[in-house]
Amino acid sequence: MTTSHVENESHHPSFMQYVVVAVILFVVTIVEFLLIWDRVGIDDDLGASKIPILIILSLFKFAVVIMFYMHLKFDASLFSLLFVSGLALGLIVGLALLAVSFGFEGKPRDYALANAVPYVHEGEAAEEHVAGEEGEEPHSGGPVNLSVGVVGDALQFDTASMEASAGSEITLTFNNISAVNQHNLVVVQAGTKDEVATAGIAAGADNNWVSPGDERVLFNSKLLDPGGTEVLEFTLAAGEYTFVCTFPGHNITMFGDFTVTP
Amino acid sequence: MAHTVQPSPGDHEYTTTGLSHRKLLMWVFLSSDCLFFGALIATYMVYRGQSLNGPYPVDIISVPITTISTFVLLMSSFGMVQALSATVRNDQKAIQMWLLVTAALGAVFIGFQVYEFNAFKNEGLTLGVNLFGATFFTLTGFHGAHVTVGIIWLLGLYIAARKGRIGPATSLDVELMGLYWHFVDIVWIVIFTLLYLIGGFDAGPTVLPGGSG
Repeated sequence: MTTSHVENESHHPSFMQYVVVAVILFVVTIVEFLLIWDRVGIDDDLGASKIPILIILSLFKFAVVIMFYMHLKFDASLFSLLFVSGLALGLIVGLALLAVSFGFEGKPRDYALANAVPYVHEGEAAEEHVAGEEGEEPHSGGPVNLSVGVVGDALQFDTASMEASAGSEITLTFNNISAVNQHNLVVVQAGTKDEVATAGIAAGADNNWVSPGDERVLFNSKLLDPGGTEVLEFTLAAGEYTFVCTFPGHNITMFGDFTVTP
Repeated sequence: MAHTVQPSPGDHEYTTTGLSHRKLLMWVFLSSDCLFFGALIATYMVYRGQSLNGPYPVDIISVPITTISTFVLLMSSFGMVQALSATVRNDQKAIQMWLLVTAALGAVFIGFQVYEFNAFKNEGLTLGVNLFGATFFTLTGFHGAHVTVGIIWLLGLYIAARKGRIGPATSLDVELMGLYWHFVDIVWIVIFTLLYLIGGFDAGPTVLPGGSG
């Protein structure tokens, strides 16, 4: 008879061994759960030291199932060779993908960090308070008071548009109420916000992320730390402008229209 | 032993390797499935923490519930080895019972997954809402599909067992089922660790204290 005959009947683990393996799998899963249990409900970054432990524990379970439940430990070595080859190839492909994404291709996570908005559970959506635009009907030449804030820690001004009339003495109060983010407020020619922001990156934080002498920039605040406030006073000629935060990455979401009527 | 009675063709035929070709084929398939799931897991890891809007994992993932369903799936593997063991012993009652128990535990696992997917959908996580949703549902969905196929396969074997067609001579049928089932189990071990234990608390790419930007 052939060898396949033998392998099918003689080398299987006993009932007790199966039970022991099941108990091991159960216990390891409980241990894994207890390892992370103290973190349940806490949304900070995890205790990184636990990651290797969790990975080792899961690899252990993985190996136990393959060796005993799938009999690879007792079976022909060709099966092991086949499976381990596929496993290794899969692992290498995965690692290569990760390496390409993070090693060579720039920093996608930084982009995400700069642009994400917090998730609000349905039903607890905060009331959108619209600050700004509280200046009365602008009239030519008269003083106009405007104020702009920030939506929490999101990368958004709390005001989508502002309006004034040409030649008005505009007093603009910019409030960075964010607890964590630095922001500035830059008034630029409409349609140039992204180019201005790109130029600002080159200028660096020391220049408040605004390129000195940039002709597209009409006025800009300093780079405000969380909680900072600045009052800007200026006048504008009639036209379409954009106000934007030029902190790197913020310009994608953090801007609004500034219309100056004749 | 009763092996002289009607050996199944796949089980005892002569092969150049001396190994059953059906079993070899199953291992080749499982090997290729490693690549399939390896790619999906790697894709999840590449896009981890890059969703631009919620819900993020920490908003919706329930580790305690999934720990229970993981436990259920692990125990179904125990049922599977008992079914094979009963087949080798030709214990007909036990074969039927363990096949059914394994299928039932698999179905409970799928039930947990259906509940989870539905809860996530109600919380706003869909395949298209963000990178987390896209990679999470693709990976766990394909795993769930594997489990579902396994349940159907188990039920097929159960019906065959009811008709008395499963025994020592056809133990390879049950053994191949077991290989597939355990493989689905170990894939879940990896998914559970990476997506739930480690990744389940990702709060999205919010700015960490101390950083600005």
